[in-house]
Amino acid sequence: MAIRVNPGFIDVLDRYGAEDVQLCYQCGDCSTVCPHADDVYKFPRKSMRLLQMGLEQKIETTLEPWLCYYCGQCSEQCPREADPGETMMSLRRWLISRYDFTGIASRFFRSRTTEVTAIIAVAILTGAFLIYYGFSRGNFSIYDGEGAFLSSSFIHKFDLTIGSVLLIFLVINALNMWYLTMVKGSPFPIPWWIYLKQIYQVPWHFFTQKRYYECEKKQEHPFYMPWFIHLGLMLGYVTMLILVMVFVEKLQAGPEIVWSVHIFGYLATIGLTAGTIYFIRSRLRKNYIQYKKSHGTDWVFIILLFLIVITGTGQHIFHRTGLNEWANVTYIAHLMCVVPWLLRMPFSKWAHLIYRPLAMYFAAIRKEAILRKDVQLRSNPVLVK
Amino acid sequence: MCGTNIAKMVDVEAVAGFVSDLPNVVLAKTYKYMCSNPGQEMIVQDIEEYHLNRIVVAACSPNMHERTFRSALRLAGLNQYLLEMANIREQCSWVHNDVKEATEKAKALVYAAICRVELHEPLESISVNMCPDVLVIGGGIAGMTAALEVADAGNKVHLVEKNDHLGGNLARVDLTAPYFYSARDLLKERITRINNHKNIKVHLESNLTRLTGFIGNFKATIQPSNGDPDASKKLSEVEIGNVVVCTGYKEFDASRIVHYGYGKLPNVITSFELEQMIRRGRIETKEGKVPRYVAIIHCVGSRSQEFHTYCSRVCCMTALKYAHEIKMANPGCYISDIYIDMHAFGKGHEDFYRKSSAAKTLFLMYEKDDRPVIHKAGPKDDCEMLIEVNEKLSGELIEIPADMVVLMIGMEAREDSHEIARIVNISQDKDGWFIESHPKLEPVATTTDGIFIAGTCVAPKDIPDTVAQARAAAARILARIAKEKIEVDALYSEVNEDLCSGCRFCNTLCPFSAIEFNEEKRKSHIISALCKGCGVCVAACPSSAIKGRHFTDQQVLAQVDALFGI
Repeated sequence: MAIRVNPGFIDVLDRYGAEDVQLCYQCGDCSTVCPHADDVYKFPRKSMRLLQMGLEQKIETTLEPWLCYYCGQCSEQCPREADPGETMMSLRRWLISRYDFTGIASRFFRSRTTEVTAIIAVAILTGAFLIYYGFSRGNFSIYDGEGAFLSSSFIHKFDLTIGSVLLIFLVINALNMWYLTMVKGSPFPIPWWIYLKQIYQVPWHFFTQKRYYECEKKQEHPFYMPWFIHLGLMLGYVTMLILVMVFVEKLQAGPEIVWSVHIFGYLATIGLTAGTIYFIRSRLRKNYIQYKKSHGTDWVFIILLFLIVITGTGQHIFHRTGLNEWANVTYIAHLMCVVPWLLRMPFSKWAHLIYRPLAMYFAAIRKEAILRKDVQLRSNPVLVK
Repeated sequence: MCGTNIAKMVDVEAVAGFVSDLPNVVLAKTYKYMCSNPGQEMIVQDIEEYHLNRIVVAACSPNMHERTFRSALRLAGLNQYLLEMANIREQCSWVHNDVKEATEKAKALVYAAICRVELHEPLESISVNMCPDVLVIGGGIAGMTAALEVADAGNKVHLVEKNDHLGGNLARVDLTAPYFYSARDLLKERITRINNHKNIKVHLESNLTRLTGFIGNFKATIQPSNGDPDASKKLSEVEIGNVVVCTGYKEFDASRIVHYGYGKLPNVITSFELEQMIRRGRIETKEGKVPRYVAIIHCVGSRSQEFHTYCSRVCCMTALKYAHEIKMANPGCYISDIYIDMHAFGKGHEDFYRKSSAAKTLFLMYEKDDRPVIHKAGPKDDCEMLIEVNEKLSGELIEIPADMVVLMIGMEAREDSHEIARIVNISQDKDGWFIESHPKLEPVATTTDGIFIAGTCVAPKDIPDTVAQARAAAARILARIAKEKIEVDALYSEVNEDLCSGCRFCNTLCPFSAIEFNEEKRKSHIISALCKGCGVCVAACPSSAIKGRHFTDQQVLAQVDALFGI
């Protein structure tokens, strides 16, 4: 059965950042230099082709965009300046909106105004609610403990509520991803035991980002360290998320420093600060090819995270130095950034925290299944069409 | 020795030693590169010093260097025909791998050459008058360019055009690729100049019906082609010295490819039909709607085993031009360009291809013999037609939406080209294109002296190449006119009228139409300017009345006897 070509699809992807994909004439240089492309996963060439032809039904089932960590070697090599690296990035953005059943992600990716407006609206609502709640229940000059403006037990409940909403969206989207890539996208049913056998891939890729490191090996620049910085940023982020969701009451207590908790907070802050500054600087200076083009959502992502780090650090310092009013002001500002950030998670670039390790896992399963099928077919030539 | 070309397989010293002992041989020498200037000087010196009267050069093919050594002989004051070349490279060292046997063969070849050269006679070239008038057949861009070039130099030109207007196929085109020059502008200036040119006589609606004579001295009969019963009265006969054939091409008939449904599906059109639409200023479907999806299919009739195996050369860039023009007219339109290979060989073409990619033309590649198939779309589809094709770069079987399909029809030889070929006595290849006398070095000359070919009657080509060929042909002709006389090689055949029985066998056999029959004397006569000395008549003559100069029976037999007698 023939698949319908959709020539208008490139215009859609243009909004996601794939501006030059039609320049590609399929020479395959990109796949040759790519450290991750192999016989089963033929990208970026094949992905570029599917995109040019607008074969949406095919693209939504592919895992290839997630296997790319955007080292940019393909874009440097490309003789037509078709920018395969940025195309893969745009495909990831499109996939995020494709996995998202609400359609919010797609709106955010296509219009920066919509996204920024939504963020500001949520921030104002959050701020208004917290100020109203604080003044009705507590004292503005108390930060923690009895009569606190925003008591840590309330914040804990507040965090958990937001976290649950986030989790529901994420789980549904991840299930959607699984269905598209592993059920719809697989030509034959995949045996369950391969899922079990490969399960280690999820934590392994999540915590090491080994493939990102493999990208980097080929770079010779002495200060080129996106892998290290990215890993630090991600680990800091995850640590902070756990602290906020589980240990927020200990975290907010003070003014004494609770080293058993705070030491993790400090380490995480170092990772986050270094990461956000490094990536903002890189995007401004455009010093490596992968930072040459910044989509609107990339800026929103990194700036919002930077604001969260600044305000979070601020409220911590003010509290420890006894400036409780200042601590409360920065705390509200901090939460005004955190809430839209968290609520935006499933609909934004941030979701790659979940999708990428999942994709590595699925890719390993699919590869093993395909190779097994190959072996089976080869030993039974009758089955081969 | 030809460097090591000959010396590595033939023991040249042994050959020289063998030769120097033969009767009538005064001197036998070897030299590294005999064709080089010092090599030739050596020959000149030796001729003068030893008073040599015959020269044998054992080297490469006479095709390669006979001219070189003939001029050396002339320089030394010897008649140039007193030379014989023994080909011990192409016919010996290059084709053998045993030194001993190759050396023996070389000895035999040189010996045979010596036996032949003994019988050589001094011959003189003849010269004939050159009529400065020129006949140009075809009033397209090639014909007009050639005519203007010749006429501007002060010579009379007869321009014969079959249609009632000048311009040819280019007159059916709107803009040209890749720079979007207007075809009308290109033509208008030329047509106006031709019509006002005092040296050009335009014969519209006319055909060349007869051409007799030979280079410098042709007689052409031009006949009006409008079914007028009095046409024969208007028949005009002109005397000319050279002819340029620029009869152009005709487009492939797209209905021959059933897959494409041309003639059945209303919105499957040919490139020329789209060209008409563009000239009218509105690109629309038969129903009058602006198409949302346009598909362009390349190589229609070209590059296939069933139709034409050759590439028509202009369609790729024309297709890109259409993509630009359609997009310019309807920016919302999506264009799929379905091709086999993108041939962007010319100046500015690769940039144009890139520009078309940047303009978001979707390029889809199909396998040469796996043509796309066009179906009518269903009622639910948002398009008129669906094109099914095995897309080669993705490996997917796809269907492409289309409201309009443009078939890039190729070029083919005109159906009347064999008629022209017969009249002016030139040959055609298997596809009907006229054959040039050498594909690399003589692209506009033919095997008939004085007949030149230019433009798309030779092979498909674009406008710059066509114009270049027309100018090349004009330049060749002008150079000859400037000489006023034309030298004809002395290698022609002669009829001994005393022996000729008037059987006229030779008249029909001559491939160059060089033999005429004198009705009064009842004898055949060879026009030396036309004769190429091929020897067909010599061999065929039942009375042995024809002698091929420089290839007399005695000379040839002496050589053959020497080869076998050794």
